[in-house]
Order: sequence, then structure tokens, then C-alpha cells
Amino acid sequence: MRRRTFLTGLGAIGTMSLVGCGSKDKDEYKADPGSLQVYSSQHENVTKAWAEAFTVATGIKVQIRKGSDSSMGHQIVAEGASSPADVFLTENSPAMTLVERGKLLAPLEEATRRQVPANLTPSSKTWTSIAARSTVLVYNPAKLPKAELPKSMMELAGPDWKDRWGCAPGGADFQAIVAGMLAGQGEQKTTEWLKGLKTNARALQNNIATMKSVNAGEIPCGVIYHYYWYRDQAGTKEGSGNTALHYFRNQDPGAFVSLSGGAVLAGSKKPEEARKFLAFVTSPAGQKVLVDSKSMEYAVGTGVASAPALPPLSTLQAPPVDPFALNSDKVSTLMTDAGIL
Amino acid sequence: MTSAGITITGLTVGYGGPAVLDQVSLQVRPGGTTAVLGPSGSGKTTLLRALAGFVRPAHGQIEIGAKVLTDEKGMVAPERRGIGYVRQDGALFPHLDVTGNILFGLPRAERRRAAQVGPLLELVGLSPDLARRRPDQLSGGQQQRVALARALAREPAVVLLDEPFSSLDTALRAATREATLTALRERGATTVLVTHDQAEALSFADQVAVMFDGRFAQIGTPAEVYDAPATPEVGAFLGDTMLLPGLADGRVVDCVLGKLDLTEPATGDVLAMIRPEQLVLGAPSGLTARVVSVAYHGPDAMVRLDLTDTTTRLVARVPGHDAPENGDLVGVVVPGAVRAYPKPAGSG
Amino acid sequence: MPAFSDPSGAVLPYDGPGAPSVRARRSTPTPWLVVVAALLVAVLMLAPVLVVFGQATAAGAAEASRLLLRPRTAELLRNTLVLVVLTVPITVVLGCAAAWLVERTTLAAAGVWRTLLLTPLAIPAFVSSYAWTSVLPSVQGLGGAVFVTALAYYPFVFLPAAALLRALDQGHLDAARSLGASGLGAVLRVVAPQLRPAVAGGALLVALHLLAEFGVLQMMRFPTFTTAILQQFAVGFSNSAGSLLAATLVVLCLGLLAVEVLLRGRARISRLGPGTRQQPVAHRLGVWTVPAIGALAILVGLSVVVPAGIVLRWLLRAISAGAVDAVPLLSATGSTIGLAVLAGLAATVAALPGAWLLHRYPSRLAAGLERMTYVASALPGVVIGLALVTLAVQWARPVYQTAALAVAAYTVLFLPRAMVAWRSGLAAAPTELVEASRSLGVSGPGTFARVVLPLVLPSALTGFVLVFLATATELTATLLLAPTGTETLATAFWSASDELDYVASAPYAAAMIALSAPLTVLLRRQILDQR
Repeated sequence: MRRRTFLTGLGAIGTMSLVGCGSKDKDEYKADPGSLQVYSSQHENVTKAWAEAFTVATGIKVQIRKGSDSSMGHQIVAEGASSPADVFLTENSPAMTLVERGKLLAPLEEATRRQVPANLTPSSKTWTSIAARSTVLVYNPAKLPKAELPKSMMELAGPDWKDRWGCAPGGADFQAIVAGMLAGQGEQKTTEWLKGLKTNARALQNNIATMKSVNAGEIPCGVIYHYYWYRDQAGTKEGSGNTALHYFRNQDPGAFVSLSGGAVLAGSKKPEEARKFLAFVTSPAGQKVLVDSKSMEYAVGTGVASAPALPPLSTLQAPPVDPFALNSDKVSTLMTDAGIL
Repeated sequence: MTSAGITITGLTVGYGGPAVLDQVSLQVRPGGTTAVLGPSGSGKTTLLRALAGFVRPAHGQIEIGAKVLTDEKGMVAPERRGIGYVRQDGALFPHLDVTGNILFGLPRAERRRAAQVGPLLELVGLSPDLARRRPDQLSGGQQQRVALARALAREPAVVLLDEPFSSLDTALRAATREATLTALRERGATTVLVTHDQAEALSFADQVAVMFDGRFAQIGTPAEVYDAPATPEVGAFLGDTMLLPGLADGRVVDCVLGKLDLTEPATGDVLAMIRPEQLVLGAPSGLTARVVSVAYHGPDAMVRLDLTDTTTRLVARVPGHDAPENGDLVGVVVPGAVRAYPKPAGSG
Repeated sequence: MPAFSDPSGAVLPYDGPGAPSVRARRSTPTPWLVVVAALLVAVLMLAPVLVVFGQATAAGAAEASRLLLRPRTAELLRNTLVLVVLTVPITVVLGCAAAWLVERTTLAAAGVWRTLLLTPLAIPAFVSSYAWTSVLPSVQGLGGAVFVTALAYYPFVFLPAAALLRALDQGHLDAARSLGASGLGAVLRVVAPQLRPAVAGGALLVALHLLAEFGVLQMMRFPTFTTAILQQFAVGFSNSAGSLLAATLVVLCLGLLAVEVLLRGRARISRLGPGTRQQPVAHRLGVWTVPAIGALAILVGLSVVVPAGIVLRWLLRAISAGAVDAVPLLSATGSTIGLAVLAGLAATVAALPGAWLLHRYPSRLAAGLERMTYVASALPGVVIGLALVTLAVQWARPVYQTAALAVAAYTVLFLPRAMVAWRSGLAAAPTELVEASRSLGVSGPGTFARVVLPLVLPSALTGFVLVFLATATELTATLLLAPTGTETLATAFWSASDELDYVASAPYAAAMIALSAPLTVLLRRQILDQR
């Protein structure tokens, strides 16, 4: 009988689901009050590696909530002082600045701050950098000879570059680059540049898609962060085999180095454990975890060498920007006004 | 089984709009069979649903035996009335077989005793072999009888039948009706049958209540309502009639068919009501008429005739073997007494 | 009993026979407890919409016009509408043609085709778009979006059309022919009007899915309102720009609902009289057999075989590379099933009061409540997710970031699926049977347990499965609402495929298909095999 088969099927599903639920920890479905709550918009594998190493070292359990920079920053602000978050880790600093301006960060421990060079921490001293990434231009030499490479990222807004480059304007990565430009070049130049971007650039969903499009020759070049390229090069080279990197240097907005931030929330219910976690992440051991995670991001801890394939951070001639000055809300307003978002 | 009479007093049902039932009163004797007869929309089904407890009346009282089911203070829930209710479509539960349906209303412990299903099936004239059939494996008449058996299983004092035979074809209808009647009589249940079929009402019931527009126009034995209808409308609803204008003076009415005796005294301008079977056709003498058409039905025939030297068209029911031919000239006689009704004012 | 008009998205109130008569309706007083329950559900359903509009208006007129009256909005509107205008007619043509071939012609192995043509329901659109882009990067933009969504969504039209054609009374066609209509004329004048409400409902469903689609369009790089809302969310959590876009989308959805009401017409289709339905006569295909089979084969090939094949290819690669990590896969499968079961139960329970009310006590109030539920669930998951986050953060902190909130979102999104199922089931338990039971001495609750429930249960289970399926592959609301640490198959697939890691996404894609496929077959049985 059909009805019977149907019921049996449902019964099977029900059983499966019970097995499925039963085989897992109860805390799967809600925040576990016994664990340190880490809100992280950093790459999942890096965050996980830190959390696991930290748990091994201290026995403190960690639960990670994934998100993306800006929305997670706004989320913590919306949650306010009673946010479940104990620690916030970002990919780029503007999201951290957002939370900082909401006066939701606890002061940074002196010992932790000293684990990272002073030029890689914000003036406000409420958070620390935990990693860094550099802006690069990935290009396809077959489509764009080295001699024709732009001298400055600002040139990409010009009419010569119409339909000749790509980026992922919807992501926080690129928005951090724009924030850097806004801090260094001012609102008027940035607005004009964004207008040029709207006309010239192909909007892709993220850095990887941008790199792959360049690799496939669909666009001659694209603005991304360095580590996507190095990661692919270290692996199959499937997405970057036909491409090379161009560093703008000269303190160009295109040489912007973005800092990933880490901070303890003022409303943390486990402030002691949270401070320990942040101290661990920036310690030589924690930075070694970052380097070993093959994420190819720059380590920022004093005395810890980044992956050997990377050109040293100090040689990139990044523009001097106080991360505290980076304003993500202003950037999203400008990009919304330019019709990009 | 104990039978109980039904007493309905001043029952009014509104549904919030104009009254569907207007001050209706009816008595059914214990063990009696009453047919509520009326055209569709006259309110007869509403009456049945009020009896069963599915309709909350605005006013009035319903009693069964000594038990008040509905009055101003409230109403007893349908399931606590002890009334069997059989609908036009049978309403068998499609997810249960015949046994499941028949035992449905019994207490849990008794539902296990499937053996009692056989006698119930036999009671309604069905084979016990049908006990394990599903409703969709039964014919319409079988479904109807199972529905009756289901209602009777609880031994209700009162059984309500809502046009239970109307969806069956002619042959099946007679057989099912017969089986139903037999079963009900055997159980001695007080029965109310709702129907718009006058032959069914007349043959089934010992009391016929004719309903028009939410009121009873007449309540009486089948013979009373047929032979002595309270109004010409009742008469016409129960069978073919001819209404002939005439002048009455007490016991006799003078009309185109001559001076006819009256069953009830009347005076002045009246309409004499004559049923086709009251006309007797014979050799042409006295009143004569020309046959216009003959509709032959087998046992009898309907003969249309034009009365000589008048514009009056008559209809006569005569035995089938004795039917005249088209164009024949025949004599017309009305042997018995007829009933006359005051002529409505304003009609010519 | 007519089959469901709507397989899985449910915007079709049940209009067919079996609705109680006016007489039955007013005979007993309306049960206020049920009304209150239905009202509560409706309020839950409407709350997200109110939040969205509240936030949008909070922006102020000046800010609103700055954010809305700009070229970007026009671009999003144009893209969204073009997508709908191109895709919906394609799905209507594909769905109706396929239904006609399967149900009304001499096509061989119709049962097999019926199943195959429904299988796209088991492959989430974003999975098939992943499959296509991974081998053909040129499948993108408007063309790619139309291609993938039309192939993924035509079953929404096919299912109701097939159910209707199957149940169609041949007597009607015969009568039309005997009244002098030609064969084609009979189809146009007798079949088409009966088909119209069902197809309009299916088309509406496709259109609503298009408005809410995120995964496919993100992969196809074709920005619409929904992708823009998610982008705004990524930028600003729940800012006024996102809310304004969402409010605009709500208005679009309402517009679509209105269009559907107009298209559906006032038609009521009921079979009169006690006569039995005449079995349909199959149309002889003759020389068209081969082209017909070819066309269906291409349709099934493009919508099922190719995407599933590609997923399988990536899966095999992942297995041979040892890249399948069983622990997160099992954990994601477990939480997906867990959430889907909870959502299925919640939606099925929540839909009952409204459906019951509508069935037993049809009134403007009941119909209004029902429409309200449709409005809310016509909205994209992201809008509902966003609104519930806002609600929870401000007023219901304890449920914030718990499975309860996610289940609430799924309930809001998928309740009409359960509702349609209940209604079709309740039609199988008409008032007459309830009254018969009462007159046999069984109380109200007893009647519900012994008559209504057994008759309605199969349909209720169908509703459960529909909600389960939808939840198991839901992406956008889950992205916002999943409890900390919970990964579902859809979100795990999404985070891998967002980085264009085809190999890592394959196991999750395959798991989603594996989970959905058997249920799709069950649905086919429930819906199309009804007598």
C-alpha cells in the first residue's frame, strides 16, 4: 500500500534525524555557556587552528561563530553590552573600529600589546592586530604586458581601463582598501575613483573569483589580497597558473596593508579566558599557528617570520594609515551612493 | 429497545437571516414513522439537523421521550442525544471497512466484538460477507444500508433519515426503502424521514408532515394529506390535481362537471379539487369529452381530454388495459365526493 | 478529491469541491480558541514584514529617497523584473507541455517520466548552478540565470498541471466535442480554463522563488534585490539601506500576489452531480513519439542528469583526493535533518488552526488570515532572517542564536506548504463525516482523533515533507540565523562553493541531493497518484 510506504519512509527519516541529533553534542544547537564565545570573521581554518591550539594549551573550550567583517561588527553593536561574544577576530580592521566606536571593547592588556610591533596596532590601544594582508594587482601577462601595468591603483578609474579589471566590491576586503584610500586620499578623490570603478570594473563575488577570472583571461587584471594568490600557487595553481602579482608600493593606495584585528569585548562574561585567548593568538606560539595554517597571511607577532614565499611586510612600502581612522560606514555610504552596493 | 416520542414545540431557526424554520411544532408517536415532505429549500433538512443537534435553534423546544434536548437554556450535544442520523450520501468513513463503520459508535470494549456485525447486516438486508469490504467497494444502495446498520448498532430510540434513497436508482430505491422500513419496524425505532418524493412519503410513513417555506402546511395520515389536503398547494404537491371553479351551496358544488358532492361543507365561489383517478370514463353519454392524448404507463394510463363545448382540459387516470384511443369521444363521470377550497380573492 | 494544486510552495487556496456548504458553516458557533491560535500564527507570520517596514520608515523620507531613488535601484529592479519576465513563461511552457505529454498522450513509460520530471525538486537551484559554472564558466549573467532557474523551477508548474490534467474528466472534453468544438478548440475552451488557476499558482511560485533566489544569482553574478539585500547585510548587518531594499521587495511580492489573483480569475472548478469521472482518453502521439521523447530527454538531461553528473564527478574527485572529511559532513547532515524535522513539525502544527478554520468556518476573517500567511512567506529568506534577528536582539534575547529562532524563520517561510497540505487533507474529511460521527455518539475530540486525523494524516505528512525538503536546502535565512557552531549542508556547501572550491563543496551538494531525492519520490506518490 502506498500510504504505508510513505509512512515507513517518514518513519525512517524521523529515526535518521534522531540518530543525527543524538550523535552530536547538545551544544550544537545553542551557544554553550561553558565555552569561550569567539565571534570571528577571520578565515575559518585559521580561527579553528587557533582555537584548537588554545584549548590544547589551556584546557579552555572555545566556540566559534562565523560571519563576515562588517555584518558581524554591526551585529555586536546591535547586541550591545549583552552580546554573547567574548572575543572578536576580524579579517580587516574597519569592522573592529566600528565596535570600538560603540565603546564595546575592553582595554588591551599591556603584555599582549607588546607582542606586536607598535606600528601594527591602532592609536586607541583597545585592540591588536593578529595578522595582516597586502593589496596586490593580479594580472594575466598574456592579456596585460608588464610594461602596461598601472603605476598607481588610482589610474584604474581612468577611461583607459574600461572593462579591463575586476574586483569584489561587495566584500569587506575590498572595502578596507577603499577605507585606506579614503583615509589617505580624502573623500573627493575616493568618490571619483569609485565612480570610475562602477564604469570600468567587473564586479565579482570575491577575491578568488576575481583571481580565477584573471587566470582565465576574462579580464586582464584584478585587485585582490596577496594571500589568495600565494595559497593557490602553493597548491594546484589551478586558479593562478597564468597570472603574476604586481605590487604598487610607493605608499600608493594600492599598496594598502590591511590589519586583521583581535579584541576582548567589554561585556565578556569570561574576561580572564578572553584575555588569555588574545594573548595566545598574538604570542609567538599563536603566530606560528597562523603561519602553519597555510593561510599565507602575514604574521604580525614580533620575531615570528611569515611564510618564506612572501615578500617581507617591511618591503611593501604601504601607505601609513592609522587603522583607527578607517571608517567602514562612510565607505559603504560612498559605495552605495556610487551605485556599487 | 425503548421507543420514545418526539415533541417539537415552536421551533424557529434563523441562521441570522430570515427564519428558515418558523414556529414549527410536530409530534411523532413512540415507534411511529413520520415523513417530512416538502420542496427543496422548504426547511425540512434544517428541521432534521436541529433534531440531531447540528443546528442551534433561535427559539422553541425539542423533547424526545421525557428528555428536553433543546430549549431556551441550551442544547444537548449531538453525541449525547441517542439519535441515529442517516444522510443522503450515507457518509460512510472511507478509512474504515464495513465492520469498522458499523461498530464505530459503540463503546470501545464492544467494538472488538465483530460478530455482532453479521446480524446487523442481515437486519438491513445485506449479506454478512460484506463485513470486510471497504466503502468504495459497495454499491450506492449497499452503502446506504450500511449507514443505516451503523446508526441502528447503537440502538437509538430515534432514527433520522435525510433523503436516504434519493441518490439511488428506481429499482434499488424500492428495495432499499423496503429493507430500511423492515429493519426500523423490527427495532421499533421512532423514525423521521425527510424527502421531497411524495410517493415515498406516502408509502413509508404513518404520518406525513408537509412543509412549505419553513412552516407545516398540514400534518396527518398519508390518506388525510392526499385525499383531504388542507390547501390546494398541499394537494398539488402530493399529486396531480385539477382545480375547477364553481359555486358551492353547503353540500354540493356546481361546476363544468355538473353538481358534485362535497366532502366538507362550503359556500360561495370555490375551486373544486379533483384528482385524475376520480374521473371515470365510459360510453359517451351525459357529459362527453374528446380524447386529446394518451400516455400509457403500463398499469395505468393518463388520458387528456377536452370537455365537449368548453375550453376545459381534463386529465384522467384509467387502468392501462382500459385506455381509450386518441380522438375517441367518451363519457365523463365523477362518482365520489370532491373537496372545494374558497376561491382566492382577485382571481377571475 | 482533486490533487493538490501546489506541490511545494503553496500559494493556492483550495477552491475545489468539498468546501462546506453555507448551511453547514453557520450551524455551530466559531470556536474562539482556534481563532485565537490562528491569529497568533498570523501575527508571527506578519511580524517580520512589520519589522522590515518599521526599519525602512525609520530611515526617514530624505534618507529613503536618497537610497531608493538612484540608478542602482533601477538596475536591480530591471534585473529582477527581466529575470521574472523571461523565466516564468519558459517554466509555464515547459511545465504544461511536459504535463500534457505525460498525462494525456500515449507516451510510453509515463510513470518513469513523471518521476524524472519531478526530480529537479531534489536538486537545489544553487547546487545545479554550481554544477554548471564549474564546467562552463560562460554560463553566467542573465542568460545563465534564466537557464538554471527555468530548469530548476519548471516542476512547480509541471506538478499542479499534471495533477489537474490527470484528474480531468474526459466527459467534459467529449461534451465539448459533441457541442461542435474541434479537438484543439475543446482543449482551449474546456481544458485551458480549468488549468489556468493551477498554472497561475505554479507560475506565481516560480516568480516568488526568483525574487527570493540568492545562491544562483550570486554565482551567475546577476545582481537582483535579494543579492543586493544580502550584500547590504554583509556591509551593515541590518541597516536602513537593506531594509529599504527589502521593503521594496515586499511590495514586489505583493504585486505578484495581486497579479496571480487576477490571472487565476474567479473560476471555481467543481464536478457536479454524483456521476463518476470518466477515464481520460490518451492522445495518440504517432509520428511525434520520437520528437516528444527526445524533448523530454533533453529537459531531464539538462535539469537533472547533467547537474547530478557533475556533482558526482566532483564527488568522485574529492573521494579520490581523500578530501571528504566525514566528521563535518555527518555533523552538517545531522543538524540539517534536525532543523528540518523541527521546522516540519512546527510548520505543520502552526498551519492547523488556520486550515481548520478555513475548512470548517470559512469567513472573511479566515481567508484574510490565510492571505497574511502567504504574504509573509512570499518574502525571501534573507528578509525574514533579517527581521527575526532584529526582533530577537531587541525583544527576545533568550532565543537569539538558538535553533528556535531558525525554526521560527522556517515556519514563517514554509507554513503555506503545510497549510495547503492540511487543506487538501481536511477536504478528505468533510463536515458530513464529522456529523455522522457525532450522531453516532462520539464527542468532538473523539471525532477528531477517530475520523479527521486518520483521513488527514497522509496529507499532513505530505505537508511535513514539503517543509522538511524546503528547510533542508534553505540557504539565506540559515546563513543569518543558524545557531553558533551549527553548519547545515546548505551553509557548508555555500562557504565552500563561495570560494569556488568545487571539490570541497561536492560532498555537501551530493548529501543534499541524497536527502531530497527519496522525499521527492514520496511526494510524487502522494500528490500525483491520488485517485
